[in-house]
Amino acid sequence: MLAPIYEFSADDVVVIIGSGAGGGTLANELCQRGLKTILLEAGRHITPAEFVNDDWAAYEMLSWLDKRTASGNWRVARDHPNAPSWHCKLVGGTTVHWSGCTYRLTQAEMQARSLYGDVPGTSLIDWPLSLAELEPYYDQAERKMGVTRTNGLPAMPPNNNFKVMYWGAKRLGLREISTGRHAINTVPYDNRPATIQDGFSVSGDQHGARWSTLNVEIPKALESGRLDLRASCRATGIEHDNNGAAKAVIYVDANGITHRQAAAVVVVAGNCIESPRLLLNSASGRYPDGLANGFGHVGRHYLRHIIQTVWSIFPHPVNMHRGELMGGLIADFSRHDPSRGFAGGYYIELNAMGLPTTAAFLNPGWWGRDFADVIAQYANMAGIFMTGEDMPQPGNRVTLSETETDAFGVPVANLHYDDHLNDLLMRNHGYKTLTAIHQAAGATRSIEAPAYPASHNLGSNRMSAKPEDGVLDRNGEAHEVKNLFIADGSAFASGGACNPTLSIVALAIRQADFIAKRAQS
Amino acid sequence: MKTVHGRVTAFKDPKLPTAIAIPKGPEWAQVLKNLTHAQAETLVSVIRTLCPHECLDISIYRRAVSHFDRLAAAAEVAGTIDRFCEAIVSGWPLAFGALAETYRVQALQRLQETAEFMFVQRMAVRYLYDDVEVWAAFGYQGASVHLGGYVGRGFNDLDWLPDLPNDL
Repeated sequence: MLAPIYEFSADDVVVIIGSGAGGGTLANELCQRGLKTILLEAGRHITPAEFVNDDWAAYEMLSWLDKRTASGNWRVARDHPNAPSWHCKLVGGTTVHWSGCTYRLTQAEMQARSLYGDVPGTSLIDWPLSLAELEPYYDQAERKMGVTRTNGLPAMPPNNNFKVMYWGAKRLGLREISTGRHAINTVPYDNRPATIQDGFSVSGDQHGARWSTLNVEIPKALESGRLDLRASCRATGIEHDNNGAAKAVIYVDANGITHRQAAAVVVVAGNCIESPRLLLNSASGRYPDGLANGFGHVGRHYLRHIIQTVWSIFPHPVNMHRGELMGGLIADFSRHDPSRGFAGGYYIELNAMGLPTTAAFLNPGWWGRDFADVIAQYANMAGIFMTGEDMPQPGNRVTLSETETDAFGVPVANLHYDDHLNDLLMRNHGYKTLTAIHQAAGATRSIEAPAYPASHNLGSNRMSAKPEDGVLDRNGEAHEVKNLFIADGSAFASGGACNPTLSIVALAIRQADFIAKRAQS
Repeated sequence: MKTVHGRVTAFKDPKLPTAIAIPKGPEWAQVLKNLTHAQAETLVSVIRTLCPHECLDISIYRRAVSHFDRLAAAAEVAGTIDRFCEAIVSGWPLAFGALAETYRVQALQRLQETAEFMFVQRMAVRYLYDDVEVWAAFGYQGASVHLGGYVGRGFNDLDWLPDLPNDL
């Protein structure tokens, strides 16, 4: 079926900005519910055949590389001052890069403020919805994504890196060890093949065993005949009507032509820097500090998870590059346990990288004999990873430069992040645990790698029960701008500990129900 | 002492350009378009000091410098390299490459906090370890989809730990 092309003046369409886990899923869900949908994507529409099995070539092909700046006491500001966050710019968004880990938030995590109490310096709130309300959508998300260990789908088979983690953890007496859950086929499912353990899912996944919006949601939306996909189109502003409701999106197409697309509903799904950047850049007489920013929360409370890796050297080969990269999970530390001295929990997972990126991220700036001796033992290296909940702080935020603009005339974004004491204590606990696991498996040397630019970007347009605590209501609609929604990780009220993609997808399906019901009434 | 860990056959993705050939001997400098020969030789010695691997042939280090040469087509990068190459010999009686390792390390440590050093060190790591000959030397096999992945080629062949239970 030929894809429709809606008129610029069509005011009965939903316009979604960003085609990743949130925007790409929402587009398909709305099309399936009969709504006319336009999907704007800043990056190109490329086919999986273009993807390469190559760390750096893929990074340069997939990543959002437009300049940003960074500030704060975090190490990333020093190591990666112009690229403090890692997400993608192409049709499919960061789902072309993700490693497929699919875990659910817990009810405890969704009541972080109530459970953790008053943690000084944080801006913790509870989610404005319960896990029970989200569970039916988690079920739908797992089904559409083909998550292992759900709906009768087999688990990911263990690889070499898993075997190291397993025996280390077992020898320490840990109990909740498995290969985890992944939106990566272990058997053919939904017209996608089973994994061939190629180890390049994060480089675009040329083979196509892993769910992405590029290979699942967007093709299905196009098949419905209701999706107008506009790639290489950069949104630069959102307009509202006299009642203050969203009504149009301004964007620049691949030829540099600026357009104004009318809309019944506008959904922003550009990840945690671009989404608040677009709202802040859409200031008007009615909304002088940016759209939906009446209480000043747009861009604030940015979260990136406590993510770090320990790389260890063993006396014998590991070959961590062979196979799916993150096929392992230890959940023993995932629950809030005040006796550890910090709030929140963390999951332990696997990490593996090719030699080029291992060398770059092991410890940026490290050089000399010691560095060279470690990297030369790449074949004998294993990687183990943690993702834990970081604390929201109002000063950890996205702001717009007052002096520098990009090629589209939009101010460059700055990302400020200071580690909270709770973050430091969790990092410390995590490093010790990860190292202990590898040592118990026989490691002769462990390197505690510093955090690198996050792909778990969350919280910078958060949902809140009260308008004065956040940007969005429980459906992801702006408290103060009707018909303006957010469908990405920036909507999270708090971070939880687990990889966020499954929750972003579940929230997008739930949001599609809400938008479709309103459209009918 | 040469230590070679797990030498393997490594593959660059067939869709990507192959690595440029570096002529043996001093005529390797013919590949340069932007750097002077002296700058290039300094950078070879710098990268060998930053990332010292006796098992790697000098042509691999020269290939990493050829990437610096390519980047130096941009005036900003050329300026950074000019400043670095001046600073690294400043105060020393000999060319950088003529210094013993002790003094080469000292010379680099003196510049460690400068933007020029950070650029050179980051790019050294970026390009040296992106070389398929280095992958082969250190046991990284590289691109795999065109070979059917690792499902039949050792993704679970680790045999120095006990077997795993079946309920994972």
